[in-house]
Amino acid sequence: MPSNPSMAAAIVGAAESNEIGYPETPRTMMQLHIEAINNVCLQTGIKPSQIEAVFATGNAPQIAEYLGIHPKYFDTTSVGGCSFEMHVHHALAAINAGIVDIALVTHGENGYSARATQGRGTGRGGPGGDPWTPDAQFTTPYGIGGAPSNYSHAMTRHMHQYGSTHADFAQIAIATRQWAMLNPRAIMFSKETNPNGGALTVDDYNSSRWISWPLHLLDVCLVTDHGGAVLVTNAEIARSLKTKPVWIAGAGENTSHSSMLEMGDFTATSAKASSEAAYKMAGMGPSDMEMAMIYDSFTITAAITAEMLGLTARGEGPSLWADGNASPGGKFPVNTNGGGLSFNHSGMYGMQLLIESYRQLSGTAEDGINGIAGKQTNAKSLVVNGTGGSLSNTGTLVLVAD
Amino acid sequence: MADYNKPIPQPDPTHTQQFWDGAKEGKLMLPRCTVCNRVHFYPRIMCPHCHSMSIEWIEASGEGYIHTFAVQHRAFGGWADEVPFVTAFIDLKEGDRMFTVLRGVDPSKPEEIKIGAKVKIEFEQATDDVHVPYWRVV
Repeated sequence: MPSNPSMAAAIVGAAESNEIGYPETPRTMMQLHIEAINNVCLQTGIKPSQIEAVFATGNAPQIAEYLGIHPKYFDTTSVGGCSFEMHVHHALAAINAGIVDIALVTHGENGYSARATQGRGTGRGGPGGDPWTPDAQFTTPYGIGGAPSNYSHAMTRHMHQYGSTHADFAQIAIATRQWAMLNPRAIMFSKETNPNGGALTVDDYNSSRWISWPLHLLDVCLVTDHGGAVLVTNAEIARSLKTKPVWIAGAGENTSHSSMLEMGDFTATSAKASSEAAYKMAGMGPSDMEMAMIYDSFTITAAITAEMLGLTARGEGPSLWADGNASPGGKFPVNTNGGGLSFNHSGMYGMQLLIESYRQLSGTAEDGINGIAGKQTNAKSLVVNGTGGSLSNTGTLVLVAD
Repeated sequence: MADYNKPIPQPDPTHTQQFWDGAKEGKLMLPRCTVCNRVHFYPRIMCPHCHSMSIEWIEASGEGYIHTFAVQHRAFGGWADEVPFVTAFIDLKEGDRMFTVLRGVDPSKPEEIKIGAKVKIEFEQATDDVHVPYWRVV
């Protein structure tokens, strides 16, 4: 009889690479991985040689080789920004099954450095690849490729179907920026650290240039470098470490399409299915959540996902951010690191979500480096959701404090 | 035709040859399942609705409706010269959906483009073998 894996494992540490964002010297992806792994091992006291499982988007064997370890379990799920939430889901299952006790989930992505040195980001699109895929024949010949050019179609449909407006979406960008102003590692922390940083107004939002109408520049995430790593262990090890465990109460994943030709409802994503699975495993629901970490590649991604997670009614996603509700000091904090919009977005943002989720629930969100006074919330539970592809794939975790 | 500087689709001999053969003759050919009678797009050898492997090709009306759209202000390659331009997902009269650069609209006035507006297909010759479908607001 299979057992419910809820609470069978915990995230016991979470760390970033030494530099993230816009490093002066270009970073390789492997450097970003290894620095983060070193940092999370120092934080937890777990040695690299104790890691039994490696989860990474594609290059898990190369990472194991670099570390000189021989993991007995690895997973290269690479389905966009939600991959890391899925890795935690898979690690939970492997630990619950007794196959491994200590799992590493790692991320290294040089979106900024790749653009600076090679003139391109790490995202999808552009020439090359299989010419016979549906997208190569039926969507990319029409001048789209990058994520903004796709996601904008969902925003138009949301506005048409539910009457949402730019004024609504501006609230998401503004509230998220308020959190970034409490995170010294956020690109948009202040005007001193970035000329476009600091407080954001509705006028700033409205006057920012069109990228893909109805997406303004300020509806769109950053392109940065980021390395991050989290360690997931069984309950016994989690209780024995110097760091606080954050328990994995629920996990779920799903997909609705790969090509946007197959999206069907442009105002819905598989986050409904993945969150329902996570809530069910946890025996909890949206009303039990005290904050949320929601993938904000674009304001529209965050708005639709809020609806899918059951945090607002359908069509009312932006209302979660209205009237300071999701801002610092608000009733329901959302994206307390400053989000992909104003903190950091390397191409696949799911690891950044996990790290901040761990920090909030372990009470370490205000360490002076990753957060200053006002960033730490009182939340003891949260829902974290990653989105990947073209609003395609989602992974949801329900996490609770010790 | 010599001046078609946009990406040129390459027909897939397994899934889409009939579609592109039809396009060459100015016809919109769509795959339809002979078991459940539903049309699907993009073309497959298995029906995504009932999973039968019995697919036939029908000549469609070439009519549809705007499902949603966007105005592209940033593009690459041959499309970079065309910005801003309007892209749209089209609900086909026969069912399912295609993507296009929308013709007959003003990209500087997105508020005048109506979701649900009727559109018709037309084809532009890119090479001897490939004629690319576009949809125009009527």
